[in-house]
Amino acid sequence: MTLRAGFQGELDQLRLQVEVMAVRVAQNLERMEAALRTGDVAPADAALAADDDIDAMLVSLTERCYDLLAREAPVAGDLRFIVSVLRVLEELERIGDLALRVVKQSAEHALLAGRPHILERLVAMATLARDLHRTALDAWSAQDVHVAFGLLERSREMDDHYRLLVEDLLVLSGDSSARIAIVAVVMGRALGRIGDHTVIVGERLRYLLTGDPAYLASEVR
Amino acid sequence: MMAQEIRKTFHQELDQLRDDMIRLAGMVTEALAAGTAALLASDLQAAEELIAGDDEIDELALDIEEHCFRLLALQNPIASDLRQIIAAIRMASEIERSGDLVTNTMKAARRLYGTPLDPRLRGLLERMSEHVHRLFRLAIDAYADRNEGLAAALDDMDDDVDDLHADYIRTIFEVYEGGSTPLQVSVQLALVGRYYERIGDHAVNIGERVRYMCSGWLPEHTGAARLAAKRAAAVTETPEPHE
Repeated sequence: MTLRAGFQGELDQLRLQVEVMAVRVAQNLERMEAALRTGDVAPADAALAADDDIDAMLVSLTERCYDLLAREAPVAGDLRFIVSVLRVLEELERIGDLALRVVKQSAEHALLAGRPHILERLVAMATLARDLHRTALDAWSAQDVHVAFGLLERSREMDDHYRLLVEDLLVLSGDSSARIAIVAVVMGRALGRIGDHTVIVGERLRYLLTGDPAYLASEVR
Repeated sequence: MMAQEIRKTFHQELDQLRDDMIRLAGMVTEALAAGTAALLASDLQAAEELIAGDDEIDELALDIEEHCFRLLALQNPIASDLRQIIAAIRMASEIERSGDLVTNTMKAARRLYGTPLDPRLRGLLERMSEHVHRLFRLAIDAYADRNEGLAAALDDMDDDVDDLHADYIRTIFEVYEGGSTPLQVSVQLALVGRYYERIGDHAVNIGERVRYMCSGWLPEHTGAARLAAKRAAAVTETPEPHE
């Protein structure tokens, strides 16, 4: 095998391992949705353990990227790929953290269940967050710019959900209104941020595939 | 051009990158202080100016990132030079996001306009913002001075912010239940507290990147070490199978 072919093999392996990490994050998003829907605290332990695995993957893959940069001095598309992986890894880790934050709030499920319309809105946001991440994962797996294209559009649904959630929260009255409102708004923001991070993954992919630095601006809000 | 001259140019570029990073962080540090003053004084004009000023922060963050990519592509940096560039790519996004959070705080200040703040909440907000401002400034000092010890201390210092944040949320509930603050204001204030807490987290992340830049230490090692320790403990605790 030539040296170049060996390097290409390493890049392919890196792409696959990012995909595996994204799958682990997707599993935690499913646990998050289940915890929010049912109030079952069991997924919280599994999510916590999975998050440690995600951190471990982040270490290993980040170091691999640094090693490849130092050893291979990549240029053009290969360089874009490695720096894009570094940024995508960060986004995936952050999505995992945000999912965990929502999972930990499942202890407040009984409180939220007293206001079904609020809980339903949060569950809808969790479902959308899971779907957006799945789309980002599919786009990464296929390295397909067209799959990533729809992410930004769909993430606007998340903005609409958040706006409607806040509208509902501001007219709450009765017992524990402030507690419910603050718990729900913190969860809503976390879910909204998951949507934002999936969009960044999609835009990073578009930068990777097109080389157009305009897509770097996606995280700028 | 002689190799020595090329190297010199490269190091000038690295100095430029460092200067830009410090300038970016300085812009956010100033915005953070001015933002807190605007929030506490209900100064709408200052809030609007800070919201508009975020575009400049965004532009510089993007310039830094593109500069890093150019350096990686054209200069084949190694060892500490490579770490400086990688750290800059990751730090620029932490600083830029902190600027976004100041903007979010200013938008909340607009929504809170004309609402008198409960003195206890006002006091806690002041203290929390002072801590976060100090933390952020120290993170940048650690970067500018390549001070790994200071960078490592930021995580512990952030615990004070977390404690203040917990106090602040409890006080929001108490004040709301006392009937002196409407729900809308309580929610906005809770979000403002969260923004400050997140800026503190970003300062800690910057400190972690400084540690990587100085010695190659990676923050993710903490999580990986925890996992390895947990697995080792599980192996030790697993009873021997019966023969």
